Amino acid sequence: MSKQKLSFQKCKDLILGCVLLALSIAYTILARQIKTRPKMVPSYANSQIIPTLLGILLAILSVCLIVQGIRKLKADGDVESKKMSRVDLLSIVLTFAAMCVYILILPTLGFMLSTMIFLFAQITILAPKEKRNYLLFAIIAVVFTIIVFIAFRIGLSQMLPRGPLEALVGY
Amino acid sequence: MSIGSLIATGFSTVLTPTGIFLMFVGVAVGIVFGALPGLSATMAIALFLPVTYAMASADAMTLLMALFIGAISGGLISAILLRIPGTPSSVATCFDGHPLVAKGQAAKALGVGVVFSFLGTIFSTILLMFLSPQIAKVAINFGPYEFFSIAIFSLTMIATLSSGNMVKGIIAGVVGFMFSTVGTDSIESVQRFTFNSTDLKGGFDMLAVMVGLFAVGEIIAAAETSHHKNEEVVTQPSMKGIKGFGFTMKEFWSQGWNAVRSAFIGMGIGILPGIGGGTSNMLAYTVAKNSDKHPEEFGTGRIDGVVASETANNATIGGAMVPLLTLGIPGDTTTAMLLGALTLHNLTPGPLLFENQAPVVYGIFAAMLISSVIMLFMEFFGLRVFVKLLSIPKYILLPCIFVLCTIGAYNLKNNMSQVIACILFGLIGFAFKKFEIPSTPFILGFILGPLAEQNYRRGLMRTSGNFVPFLTSPISAVFLGIALVVILLAATKPLRQKRKAARQAAK
Repeated sequence: MSKQKLSFQKCKDLILGCVLLALSIAYTILARQIKTRPKMVPSYANSQIIPTLLGILLAILSVCLIVQGIRKLKADGDVESKKMSRVDLLSIVLTFAAMCVYILILPTLGFMLSTMIFLFAQITILAPKEKRNYLLFAIIAVVFTIIVFIAFRIGLSQMLPRGPLEALVGY
Repeated sequence: MSIGSLIATGFSTVLTPTGIFLMFVGVAVGIVFGALPGLSATMAIALFLPVTYAMASADAMTLLMALFIGAISGGLISAILLRIPGTPSSVATCFDGHPLVAKGQAAKALGVGVVFSFLGTIFSTILLMFLSPQIAKVAINFGPYEFFSIAIFSLTMIATLSSGNMVKGIIAGVVGFMFSTVGTDSIESVQRFTFNSTDLKGGFDMLAVMVGLFAVGEIIAAAETSHHKNEEVVTQPSMKGIKGFGFTMKEFWSQGWNAVRSAFIGMGIGILPGIGGGTSNMLAYTVAKNSDKHPEEFGTGRIDGVVASETANNATIGGAMVPLLTLGIPGDTTTAMLLGALTLHNLTPGPLLFENQAPVVYGIFAAMLISSVIMLFMEFFGLRVFVKLLSIPKYILLPCIFVLCTIGAYNLKNNMSQVIACILFGLIGFAFKKFEIPSTPFILGFILGPLAEQNYRRGLMRTSGNFVPFLTSPISAVFLGIALVVILLAATKPLRQKRKAARQAAK
């Protein structure tokens, strides 16, 4: 083996294989604990049978993946390592955080208010620095929210989470 | 009812003011989704599902079919003008489409692409109209053995063919299957993997899973690259002095055989599960190239290349609808979305659909035909507008799409449970991307899993535990046999390649 640093790219399959193996064991154990009704359905067709088979199958496949992963590690050669820059990682984390905050505030702030806040924040997170035009983003956030609200709540009369702004317009 | 009157019923279901309006909207939005790289037909249908909740089932299906046809065809715009395929279905369109633009023949390239997209759709829809009722007639006699085997066959095809790495493909399928086991078991009515949560009792909703995996996962993935500068230069095609669709009748007729062959390739691949438009356009292109007298001219701007790719990918639509409508088996993610839509409107695809809901089925056929006519004209005359839309930045588009996903998920149960599920599956989709696991087998494992499981258990209960009938029923045996052969071929592929290399080295 070369003294190359172990990159994520190189031990990806190995990591994935180990995680899946652990999951398959947990799944199989849970599958064996499913309550069955032996009087109603014979054991060869009960609700445990397929999950058990799936658990075993995934365990076998994970072992295959681990073997593949080890082979890959042993095989020398450059794996093109596309290193994730810090900005990229930050924008993924922020995007995910924005989504989570959005669904947390939806039930209390209502659809309109939370969507406007979310859109503004998310567009700002994704936009390249030199293209940040906050006024434009705010206009897009407000206009898009209103259009969607009119289309879905009023036009298609579907339910949307209610909040202060919805109460204000009476929907 | 005779087929003629059924077709007439179909057209009258669709040709209402609402229906026509929906088709125009669907085709236009579909083209935009197809043309924008990163947005796909699957996403277009996912986003428009909530819009259809309140509609009559025929109207809903009309809108969704129009979206499907628009999106598959729209990919050609960016493939030709930007050299970036808008969807995987138009990868091969880039090869000769863009060189034509470089030669100053953008209008010809687009015209050829649009017209042959149209012909591909029409051809496959007509074949679908005559083929599927016949298949439905046979399928109506299928029992648990046959359905189990067809589900297993489809899963095997998808898992082995949809990615380069067979182990990862099968893993994705198995994990998808596992997610489908969560909820109340329909045979024994016991709770499985619900951890006493009421939200999990009904299992994961198919639509929340798909929207999460494809739309939300895509948005998280796009966050990674959104900061990178990649200015795309869009060439506005010059329309000056262009008559008709930009090509001559002689050029049109010279493509006759190429188009027919590509249409059959597209249709055939569409019928087979697991290999959709992404493969059919490449295959048709390769066949066209290899059977040409001057294969070296391909890639330099031959309209033959555009014709092969665009005819084939649109013909795949009709093909993919065959197993969906007759058996209830989706072959790719877009038809999986349509399956979700049908179920949402209480239509169960399968042989009985043709008996119980004939107007809806023939309405779908009629919508496909009319939508392709709309697509033909809209794409050609509205081209400038679509090209303009290509310049909407992704950082504005994606957050708006996420909001629409949220509404769709919220409306499934009118509470937040499905929205949360949607985000969780988005994370899974993102992880799949990072670990290079294909997500198509996951979705089909999730959808076909219950079909396989229930038919397996019902079959065994019928025979008191004897598996032999699964192997002796002829149709079931054939499908299981093919599945086995496919797995063996895929598993021994590295071995055969090694031997071939060794033999060549010996020479």
